[in-house]
Amino acid sequence: MKTSTRTFLSATVLIGALVPAACGDDAAAPAEGGGQIVTVYTGRHYGIEAVFDEFTAATGIEVRFTTGKDPELRERLIAEGANTPADVLMTADAANVELAADAGVLAPVASETLDTAIPTELRSADGTWFALSRRARVIISSTERVDSPPMTYAAVGDPAWKGKLCLRPSTHPYTQSLVASLIAGEGEAAAEAMVASWVDNDPLFIDSDTDIYNAVAAGECDVAIANSYYLGRLQTEDPAFPVAITWPDQDGRGAHVNVSTAGITTNAPNPTGALRLLEWLATDGQKMFSDANFEFPADPSVEPADIVAAWGPFKGDTAVIVRLGEFQPAAVALLSRVGYE
Amino acid sequence: MTIGWRPGRGPGWALLVVVAVVMAAPVAVILWSITDPSTEVWRELWQTRLPGMIVDTVTLVTLVVTGTVIVGTGLAWLVSAYEFRGRRLLSWLLMTPIAIPGYVLGFVWLDTLQGPLGARAVRSIWLCAAVLVGSLYPYVYVFAWSAFREQSPRTVDVARSLGCSPFAAWWRVVVPMARPSIAAGAALVAMEVLTDVGTVRLFNVSTIADGVLRVWFGTGDRDAAAELAALLVVAAVSLIFVERALRGRARYTQAGARSATRARSVTGMRAAVVNVVGWGVLCIAVAVPVVRLVRWALRAQQLGQTETISGDLAFHVVSSLKVAGFATIACLVIGTTMVFIARERGRWGAALSRLASLGYAVPGPVVAIGVIVTLAAVDRREWWPGEVLLVGSLAGLVYAMVVRFLAIAHQGIGASVGKVTPAVVASARTLGAGRLRVATRVELPLARAGVIAAATLVAIDSLKELPVTLLLRPFGVEPLPVWVWQATSESLWVQASVPSLMIVAIGMPLVAALLWSVERGAEVVS
Repeated sequence: MKTSTRTFLSATVLIGALVPAACGDDAAAPAEGGGQIVTVYTGRHYGIEAVFDEFTAATGIEVRFTTGKDPELRERLIAEGANTPADVLMTADAANVELAADAGVLAPVASETLDTAIPTELRSADGTWFALSRRARVIISSTERVDSPPMTYAAVGDPAWKGKLCLRPSTHPYTQSLVASLIAGEGEAAAEAMVASWVDNDPLFIDSDTDIYNAVAAGECDVAIANSYYLGRLQTEDPAFPVAITWPDQDGRGAHVNVSTAGITTNAPNPTGALRLLEWLATDGQKMFSDANFEFPADPSVEPADIVAAWGPFKGDTAVIVRLGEFQPAAVALLSRVGYE
Repeated sequence: MTIGWRPGRGPGWALLVVVAVVMAAPVAVILWSITDPSTEVWRELWQTRLPGMIVDTVTLVTLVVTGTVIVGTGLAWLVSAYEFRGRRLLSWLLMTPIAIPGYVLGFVWLDTLQGPLGARAVRSIWLCAAVLVGSLYPYVYVFAWSAFREQSPRTVDVARSLGCSPFAAWWRVVVPMARPSIAAGAALVAMEVLTDVGTVRLFNVSTIADGVLRVWFGTGDRDAAAELAALLVVAAVSLIFVERALRGRARYTQAGARSATRARSVTGMRAAVVNVVGWGVLCIAVAVPVVRLVRWALRAQQLGQTETISGDLAFHVVSSLKVAGFATIACLVIGTTMVFIARERGRWGAALSRLASLGYAVPGPVVAIGVIVTLAAVDRREWWPGEVLLVGSLAGLVYAMVVRFLAIAHQGIGASVGKVTPAVVASARTLGAGRLRVATRVELPLARAGVIAAATLVAIDSLKELPVTLLLRPFGVEPLPVWVWQATSESLWVQASVPSLMIVAIGMPLVAALLWSVERGAEVVS
């Protein structure tokens, strides 16, 4: 009887041990053919593969990547610590990369190539991250129903737009970064009053910029705040898409600009390959990287795509970009206080 | 039988403790933060969103549980009490929504109703609840159905002979006797609603589980998020107590049990009503969504969007099968081991089993981060040579799935093994069979249906699981839900349709296996 118990137990232990062992075979497959590999965690996934393929063709360095949302990848990187397989973290917004840098998972990089290509206000002072492309969060309105759209973020709170406004929920980094920029630029009290005035307009919250554009086109709302590049995608499909962009606050701080970023991880297994990738993205790959998503290149000397250039020049609030992460927690708290969905 | 330590049972205890610790560790590391509460964040939450979150959570859980109990029990009764053309087919098909993830049903109905209702009206807690009822009622249905099947027709006959109308007989005799099963199904539903993060976000419903992610990912404040998660665990544990209380000590014995409830033939108007109700639910929960998905998928085919940047459809299917397969095997092995060891160890054994099942009460993303923290700590010790790391490995992902779904396997297997008549086991033992032999040759074969039911439930759940998969998938493994998520987060329904349909397609044989086992008397919960 005792023996049988023991046999039973050892059998289960054995099986229990075999299962993970069987799984382990696939774990962290090493580079094929011994070639160099750079591992990327990316919160941005528009056309990223073609860009990486181009990089591989140019340098012979393979890129393997996993996608996810910015905050989740940030938390994963923090949890993995010294054992992370990631060489590079790429995010779709500045605040999350700054929070990652604050947590110590991004390493400072000194690169003349990067410092030359990327303007000072588009990279962190300590070199932990660099912007690769810019995009504006703008006011959009129906071309059919709106003659004089709001010209400033403050004007979006005008009671004239009550029941006619669409916004993205506060759970999304785009909303958080916009409010962080308002806090940085206007001070907390003014920002709170402004965001509260939006909420007073009883906005319809839609958790997708594409759907926000479609809602404006369909007449669900007349005015909304959304990222510029979605219009690029929609205009590619339908050049007559009935939504127009207004560059906000052109007489003031300028439109809220956020960036796609990249940084090298503190514990990168392949920091040299990672640096090659960043430098390539900031130079030879700049145009391809930005055009893939109808964004503005971080390097101002590189031309944006034609469809983007057609929207005309604008003044962007770039000074505040490196501080978005600093104000993000305050932004989240503010959004909660004013009852923003 | 004695409670507590006895010499000679050391290895069993040790194994049980190890399993419980390994399974509870990821939840424990997250909940640990409560020992050092950040009162400031807590106060701020309390003054702002927390009351709303609690209201939304309670409302949603109440609506969905009520809805699933009414729909699930009602349908189970229709297909067990009435005989009509197509009854058998209907009774099987009514189980199929379990294979459709809530987030898929959610985006299909969101898009379908957006036109007629308007984008504002469509984003409501009511529609969210309706969608969740549509995808979760099978949990109640399957338990109620198997409970009704096991009831003797004689009880109804007696009630009828005492002057009860058919409905009164059902309401006063049949339902009360099925109450333990219905309560168990409802508890599962409540747990799924408490931890849902995919569907609620679609409809702008702000639950506590959603709040955990909101706080964590919005501010990077893991401690504050963990405190919210702890609230969720408390809610889940109280739910379990409520369910136990509702169930009470109810153990109904039945005269001539195991002969299925006698079905009454219905024709004409009544048959029409029964059919309309049954097929109507099926239309809403399965037919309309599947038709829309198929139409989108055809469009995707035209546009050449039947693959992703990571690989073609077959690659994603293999990924999904691999993850669900390993997770199911692991859950079965560990669950069975726990059942056999724990039952001889009284209260402590039960407590350790419950500890190991804690992950079921915690939202997926929280489990995922807990697993990453735990595995990263193990990786840092470098217990094994070379470059083998658990974080980012398939083993890590499977581990997280087991943490999340072990409860289902453990409950199902435990209930079915518990049903094996003690006399059979005693006879085998008297005849000299060892414990292992009795377990493998007598008890498990007798409980086979229950084991299969548990396996299919785990497989279906791990096939649908989104947040854990998203956060933990290793390189080269891209299960279908990740593809769905990537497409739906950009509102690209056409792209999302192909992987969504594949999840449903893979789920269908599993549903069939589940039905097969339920028809053979599988107990799905204890």
